[in-house]
Amino acid sequence: MSALSIVAAVLQVVVVLVGAPFVVGGMRQVRARLEGRAGGGVGQPWRDLRKQLRKQQVTPRGTTLVFAVAPAIAAGTTLLIAAILPIFALGSPLDSVADLFGVVGLLFLGTVALTLAGLDTGTAFGGMGSSREITIAALVEPTILLAVFALSIPGQSANLSAIVSATLDNPGQVFSLGSVLAFVALVIVIIAETGRLPVDNPSTHLELTMIHEAMVLEYAGPKLALVEWASGMRLTVLLALLANLFLPWGIAGADPSLLAVLIGVVAIAVKVSVLAGLLAAGEVFIAKLRYFRVPELLSGSFLLALLAVTASYFLATPTR
Amino acid sequence: MTTTVLPAAAAELGEGPRTARLAREAIASGLATTLLGALGLVLGVVAIFGPTRHLRIDWLLPLAGVRFDVDPLGGLFIAVTGAVAVAVGIYTVGYAQREHWARFPMVVLPLFVAGMLLVPAAGSVPTFLLAWELMAAASLVLVLSEHNRGAVRFAGVFYAVMTQLGFVMILLALVLLSAAAGGDAFTTIAAHADDMSAGTRTAVFVLTVLGFGSKAGLLPLHAWLPKAHPEAPSPVSALMSAAMVNMGIYGIIRIDLQILGPGPQWWGLTLMILGAVSAVFGVLQATVATDLKRLLAYSTTENMGLVTLALGTASLLSASGAPDVAAIAMTAALLHVLAHAAFKTLAFLAAGSVLAATGLRDLDKLGGLARRMPVTTVMFGIGALGASGLPMGAGFVSEWILFQSLIHSPPDGNTLLALAMPLSVGAVALTTGLGIASMVKAFGVGFLARPRSVAAEDARESPMSMLTGMGLAAAACAVFAFWPALVAPALRGVLDALPEVGGDTAGVQLATFLRLPGIDGSLSPALLAVALAAGVLLAFAASRWGARHRPAPVEVPLWACGAETLSPRMQYTATSFAEPLQRVFDNVLRPDTDVEVTHFAESQYLVEKVTFTTRLADPVEQRLYTPVVGAVIALAQTVRRAHNGSVHLYLLYGAIGLLVVLLVAQ
Amino acid sequence: MSLATYTGVLDLTAGAFLLAAVLIVWRRELRSIVHLLAWQGVALAAIPLTEGLYEGNPGPVIVGLVVLVLRAGVLPVLLLRAVGTADAERRESTPLVNTTSSLLITAALTMLAYAVTRPIIALDQAAATRAVPAAFAVILIALFVMVSRRRALSQAVGFLMLDNGITATAFLITGGVPLIVELGASMDVLFAVFVLGLLTGHMRRAFGGTDLDQLRELRD
Repeated sequence: MSALSIVAAVLQVVVVLVGAPFVVGGMRQVRARLEGRAGGGVGQPWRDLRKQLRKQQVTPRGTTLVFAVAPAIAAGTTLLIAAILPIFALGSPLDSVADLFGVVGLLFLGTVALTLAGLDTGTAFGGMGSSREITIAALVEPTILLAVFALSIPGQSANLSAIVSATLDNPGQVFSLGSVLAFVALVIVIIAETGRLPVDNPSTHLELTMIHEAMVLEYAGPKLALVEWASGMRLTVLLALLANLFLPWGIAGADPSLLAVLIGVVAIAVKVSVLAGLLAAGEVFIAKLRYFRVPELLSGSFLLALLAVTASYFLATPTR
Repeated sequence: MTTTVLPAAAAELGEGPRTARLAREAIASGLATTLLGALGLVLGVVAIFGPTRHLRIDWLLPLAGVRFDVDPLGGLFIAVTGAVAVAVGIYTVGYAQREHWARFPMVVLPLFVAGMLLVPAAGSVPTFLLAWELMAAASLVLVLSEHNRGAVRFAGVFYAVMTQLGFVMILLALVLLSAAAGGDAFTTIAAHADDMSAGTRTAVFVLTVLGFGSKAGLLPLHAWLPKAHPEAPSPVSALMSAAMVNMGIYGIIRIDLQILGPGPQWWGLTLMILGAVSAVFGVLQATVATDLKRLLAYSTTENMGLVTLALGTASLLSASGAPDVAAIAMTAALLHVLAHAAFKTLAFLAAGSVLAATGLRDLDKLGGLARRMPVTTVMFGIGALGASGLPMGAGFVSEWILFQSLIHSPPDGNTLLALAMPLSVGAVALTTGLGIASMVKAFGVGFLARPRSVAAEDARESPMSMLTGMGLAAAACAVFAFWPALVAPALRGVLDALPEVGGDTAGVQLATFLRLPGIDGSLSPALLAVALAAGVLLAFAASRWGARHRPAPVEVPLWACGAETLSPRMQYTATSFAEPLQRVFDNVLRPDTDVEVTHFAESQYLVEKVTFTTRLADPVEQRLYTPVVGAVIALAQTVRRAHNGSVHLYLLYGAIGLLVVLLVAQ
Repeated sequence: MSLATYTGVLDLTAGAFLLAAVLIVWRRELRSIVHLLAWQGVALAAIPLTEGLYEGNPGPVIVGLVVLVLRAGVLPVLLLRAVGTADAERRESTPLVNTTSSLLITAALTMLAYAVTRPIIALDQAAATRAVPAAFAVILIALFVMVSRRRALSQAVGFLMLDNGITATAFLITGGVPLIVELGASMDVLFAVFVLGLLTGHMRRAFGGTDLDQLRELRD
């Protein structure tokens, strides 16, 4: 662990903090253009955040500490994940503190904090959103952990640096069957976890269809800013994870030079922008799925993840 | 808040002599339990690190004698039981007073603990069976301590029948073992285990897995657990759910893994399937349960399922030639037993605190306790976090180790491993996911939001002794969540005594970092907690940006969709919270739903009221038990014809019986 | 073509082949099911094509091209014609087993396929043999589709998928069947589809729908 890999990890957190609203803004802009609208510009989420952060702190009557600290926990877990993941460089000082299972656990910890906050309000909306969110989270878990399993097979480890270096050492395996299936499964899971179409519509405010938005309905001002910031960071971090798990090229090594870290920053910026753009473009063409058809989607992704694991087991290392 | 711990204080307050006597008895009972527990804890720890201790008392039991051999494996389970009893004993001091316990349960409580401490200490079959019966009988009496309620009597009968059924199976298995080995000491049996015929070994395996599995709450003989555990007084529920179920696990490890092990592959596979099915079924039922204690009881089935799955994994891997990974799975099983004991004690004690304060177990009527009972709420929160298997919770580390053992089976292994491991990962992951949902429901609906009934509104925080008991359990949870290295030497000692499942390999290194030797994988719960705290602080700091420009904070009413005020009836209840999951798992849960629409007499287009009822019974119980019980009753009806009430006839039966025995004995 | 590329392409092809089967189970729109079947035909054709190119043998390449034209071109077009224009005819009516369960059953069948083909893989560790489980899984999934679907057209799709699976297994195990055998089999399938198409047309004219449950009433 060199000084620069610590710098790289700190840089990761800072860049995710600053960059996440731009990712959200970029996705909205892509969508707006494809739908023939002008759009608010890439910087609009940042302007929203600044406005909300200056607003009055409003506490709904009857809520407890859970409601007050949930946004900070959701954001905090995401920032911690940003520090653990190999985004710019391998060998983050926190890499051995938590592996991919730990990262998934942290992700769910953030979800649970917001779910409890939704229940804490004691309104119909809060409960409804929480109930829906936790249902999806519970059904996502098997897929996400099976995908972790599939990814851990080539490197014989669930630690992120090991997985990414295994891919770097053996580029051919990215196009192996197991890897492709795991990729598709992970994409579905990430869409479900970040509340994008077709599982949830992030821009809806119709009570019949809201999931995430219903849960955080009572938040306003600075707390709402933190909730939205956290969900943007979550999307960014997961896209970065997806990018580096399957296309790790450009990432700096475990003992990087300053130039390598800079290249890593540029590489991941390009990869995340492309992925976010593709996701946004895809969303233009699909409608939200009926809530009770989401389990179909998730069971499908579970099947893909299971196939990914078995494929990796059975198709590995041919001799001729 | 009343802190009537000392009888003198109670007398000073001017309360009657009855109260003073109750207080005295409660303190005596609680102290006895605590002291027994502390003794068990110390002896258990000594046994784990020291050589095996022997104790023989030949005169106590005719023909067989009583024999105790305390080895590291037994020591671990004695220590766990002792630790649970310490917390429960202190808690009982306050609980028994608040709930006005009768004298009888207070006397039996220490006996129950004693029975549980003796089971893992037993060194021979007769001693083991005696201790087992002491434990079973004492727990039955305790379950029945509120016998004036109908539900309790029903649960008691159910429990009595099933626990005796399990006992008969264990008895048969152990008798078979001693007959085949020609001796009743476990050491003798272990020495002759390899010479036994395959048939005997298989029969013993099947009988013990069923018998011990029933005690651990595993399917299909689990049905007593969600009935008896909730109906028992809460300290007893805690003892049963956190300590007594472990005895089932102990039995499986002792007989099937240690004495008869290493078993063939299908033994491990059977345990894995049984564990996975129990875990998923238990957690599904917990997700849809609305009774707080029933939810916790089903969560016990879930967690024992996970432990059994880990045991099965260890056995299968050991039989497939991967002893080092088997040791990892075994560590996961043992650590999960410990962690489960900690968080389940805490959760049941907190639920008991709620029950004592409100008289309610129904989550649909609770709510808003966070303001009235802040300490209990925090305690339940810690327990629920542990039970959900999330980071910072007590159950996370053991589940993480279990996952590591599942994903690190040798890649060029046989088809069995290649098929069993991914499916197990799926089952454990589904269990974890649903476990999170059930615990969010229990905590979020039960303790947050606004009270859904008058009783919940008038709740009052529990006395100091109850809070202290919970505090001890919470401290144990913190150890397993952040510093599991503390129990590492103990686990190492037990593993060394289990070479059958790879105990002689390196195992898991539990220190600041958890490392798996030979396998690339690490975790550091303590550093993770520190880093998370830093992350949360950073997020908080980020949200302070621009705080100077903000007007002063205000408190405003919640959004009530335009209605005047928000009534507690508008909230989501536990039933509605779990409804989506119930619908998704409709095929498994098979809820019985009725919608009754009443129209106005004037017009059938206007609806006067809609009644919606949904009942969730245990489908396994309905499908499997009802026919069996029906057959037994039919059989009993036949036998009944022989009972016509004539004393002479009964004497004749006796005489004929005697004659037959004499003739056969010739 | 190097060994690594050959293995990679073959694995991907087998994966796409299996994936198409899974997606056919997943989807209910008859048109998209037929499109998926066409994609499966492409994946099927890619198997002998890859093998031929890797070994430098023109035989499998010709077979692959024929398969491509027939399975990815002719048959899907014929099936698409059979899809009715009426709205009610364009979707699979509620299947006998709901989608979530179907997908889980598919998972179980795939695991089963992996388990039962294990001895075959043990015989020969070549890349082609290692992909056999995927082909075998398609056979099982096809049987499941035929069992669980109501529309006559879905049954036809299931039948064609079954044939695809058998053909793929043959390609993977034997490294290609003789050209004449493949042609003969394909002709059989072609005729079967013709007959099915005619029958569906007749059924629709006679009963106004192709729901197989309605056919049961004919017996009474």
